[in-house]
Amino acid sequence: MNLDKLLATGDRCIHKEPPTCTANCPVHLEIIDFLAEIEQGNFQNAYKLMEKKMPFHKILGRICDHPCEAPCERSKAGGSIRISDLEKAVLEYGAYKPKKVWPLPKNKGTVAVIGGGLSGLTAAVDLDKKGCVVTIYEKTNRLGGRLWDFVGDSLTEEVLLQELKAVADKKMPIHFETTVDKNKLSELLATYDAVYLGTAAWEEEIKWNPLTFQANESALFVGGSLVNQSDSVIFSASSGRRAAISIERFLSKVSLTDSREREGAFETPLHFDISGKEPLAPILKSAAIYSQDEAMAEAKRCVKCQCRKCIEGCVHLRKFEMSPDAYIRQINHSERIILGTHYANKMINSCAECGLCKEECFLNISMSDVIHETRESMVERGKMPASAHDFALKDMAFSNSSRFSLVRKQPSKEESKDLFYYPLISFSDYVKGLYKGTGKTAYLFYPGCQLPASYPDDIKSIYEYLVGHVQGDVGIYLGCCGAPADWGGQQALMQENIEAIKRVWEEMERPTFILACSSCMRIFEKYLPEIKLESLWDIYVREGLPNKDHIKTPQTLSIHDACGTRENSDLHESVRKIVAKLGYGIEELEYTKEKTKCCGYGGLVYYANREQSNAFVSERIGESENDLLVYCAMCKDLFVSGGKRTYHLLDLIYPKADGEAATRKMPTLSERHDNRSRVKQILLKEIWREEPEETMMEDQFKLIIPDDVKQKIEDRYILSEDIQAVLKNAEENNERFCNPETGEYLARLRRDNVTFWVKYEKEENDYILKSVYSHRMEIVEE
Amino acid sequence: MKHESTDQTAWRCDKCQQELELTKVKVKYMEGNFEVDLPKCPSCHQVFIDEALALGKMKEVEEGLEDK
Repeated sequence: MNLDKLLATGDRCIHKEPPTCTANCPVHLEIIDFLAEIEQGNFQNAYKLMEKKMPFHKILGRICDHPCEAPCERSKAGGSIRISDLEKAVLEYGAYKPKKVWPLPKNKGTVAVIGGGLSGLTAAVDLDKKGCVVTIYEKTNRLGGRLWDFVGDSLTEEVLLQELKAVADKKMPIHFETTVDKNKLSELLATYDAVYLGTAAWEEEIKWNPLTFQANESALFVGGSLVNQSDSVIFSASSGRRAAISIERFLSKVSLTDSREREGAFETPLHFDISGKEPLAPILKSAAIYSQDEAMAEAKRCVKCQCRKCIEGCVHLRKFEMSPDAYIRQINHSERIILGTHYANKMINSCAECGLCKEECFLNISMSDVIHETRESMVERGKMPASAHDFALKDMAFSNSSRFSLVRKQPSKEESKDLFYYPLISFSDYVKGLYKGTGKTAYLFYPGCQLPASYPDDIKSIYEYLVGHVQGDVGIYLGCCGAPADWGGQQALMQENIEAIKRVWEEMERPTFILACSSCMRIFEKYLPEIKLESLWDIYVREGLPNKDHIKTPQTLSIHDACGTRENSDLHESVRKIVAKLGYGIEELEYTKEKTKCCGYGGLVYYANREQSNAFVSERIGESENDLLVYCAMCKDLFVSGGKRTYHLLDLIYPKADGEAATRKMPTLSERHDNRSRVKQILLKEIWREEPEETMMEDQFKLIIPDDVKQKIEDRYILSEDIQAVLKNAEENNERFCNPETGEYLARLRRDNVTFWVKYEKEENDYILKSVYSHRMEIVEE
Repeated sequence: MKHESTDQTAWRCDKCQQELELTKVKVKYMEGNFEVDLPKCPSCHQVFIDEALALGKMKEVEEGLEDK
């Protein structure tokens, strides 16, 4: 994994970027924090923030020309926050006596400050604090310069005098009524280690560096009105402060330019989308200064601009309270440590890899891709926890084994000739399709593994429909596309699976694949771009629906698009057309189509972190009062398990007589295996009229399973074949423990990398299960 | 990994009809190897792991090793 590239991606994230107000404030008052304190009525804390960042805050807070207000995002929704008025209120309600500061030893060097106005005083006070010996030269007989022009209702003479007295109290020598001209300046430069020039005007043009305020690479630094384009007081103060930083560096003989990119006002890369916020007009002042309540109400209007688009949409990022930049730092740490605990593993395996983060990001940062790449790296380095994806990978192996996998061409005309008789040939589209058979497979129906597991009875109907409706022969291919390997970061296994699919495709002379599962769709698009794809749902729209007039109770449904289809807008439209054609109303969810959410199965989070998966489920099902309509078997499974009435598109197209489609509990993990095997059997027997070579795995022991144990079996990812195997070993070899007090048996069997335990009671031929559990740790029995 | 069980005393090996004895047993997972006192049949060496141990301490250790 390229960690430099990873960190660069993290640096692009604008989550931590400052809001426009702070970026436009030349002294970077932390305005969001400032307003948050006011909102809480903590005026003293707000005052502390002003004191920290604003030179002469008691003066500037009253006369600041507030460049922060115009760009305020709130201006687009009611009006900018009145930050300037709030500063005045904070000075009124939050001011406290300044803390005594112990001066540093004055050993940094000597500095002459020319001009006793705002910028000069700012530079002088800052340098004095940094340990310089400062001398002020002022041409008039008082300090303050143009600050005196601001004296009025807001900045009273009393306050100004008080603040200027505080400067005088610092005991810096001040030379009043001393005019500094060119000659005097040369003299000062010869006498002092550095000179700050903060006069309103100068007799000749001075070239200065806009980053450091240094003139002619000399010991002269400039600021105030000389360098400011405007008469902004806050810019003036900021220039004095920045020049003081340069002078300190100059005296310490360190780089003047390092890490100073964001001094003064700058353009923040932050984007903030305020469109979702309700407009709120500014709170009006009932007197010259906001009352405390008014100030709190005004501060409350602040939307606290921060880019949280991806976090807001994602249960996973919210659960771990992670922004992409922070997440990436964690991954970087996890990738770099060799010995030690990889605390981020659980988090990395709790992402649904659904891609909504990228969709929501102004900068197209895809945490889904970053996390995916991390999982691949973890697998490569042997750091992927085995338990996270083991069950899903075994499930994939099952689907690609002879117990489910199947490839067949459409039954030939020769094989089907006994069907070509009247009236069948006239009325059955399927038989007509067989009659038109050419022997060349134009299409291969690939229903995936989860759809046959959830809808075993419909696969044959869909196949017959396809033979009867699409132009050209339709073959069938049962198997797993490899989505679990992809999600689990198992690239080697994934490539192997892709090669196997590709071989079938080549052997079948490159047919178009008809897909019904959105995960298959994503996998084929990602790994097999050379294969032409059609979605089953697109075909229904084009060729017409199979069953007519079967609407029972038309209702309004909310469509939950499968995250695997995020970028497939044609498919979204097809699904909506089908739903509308069937007579249902549609109410779109807020997060829909390309902005859909994950149901909680994606990325195998269902196996790696069930609690996180449940959070995905409960958030999504809470987003609509309507019944949901999905077109992915796992979405249906999870939503129904979460207690939400949910239809799969197939429930509507091939309705079952019981009318319980929206609440029907989906098959258990073991039943899913059995269903897949059953689909293979049904197809072989009824379409190809072959006697299946393998019979279904018959259960050897008759189990009685109480409901609580059934739930444990599911939650612990234990298959009934595991239980049967344990019992078989226990019964045949007597390898078990017995409890004479309760009459119970406890037996274990190691299968592959897991030891399964079954506690049971025998009653004649019934095996009553008491509990089942497993562990991965191996016990050496010797 | 200490084993505390509530009901193991009543259990016995069904194959050998022997009482279980607390014995040092080797357990391993990933790159971790430990010795733990566990109830074991002295004759056929079957080791008894109850549910609380498998889903409690054992799982905790497994998870710890998986994150190493």
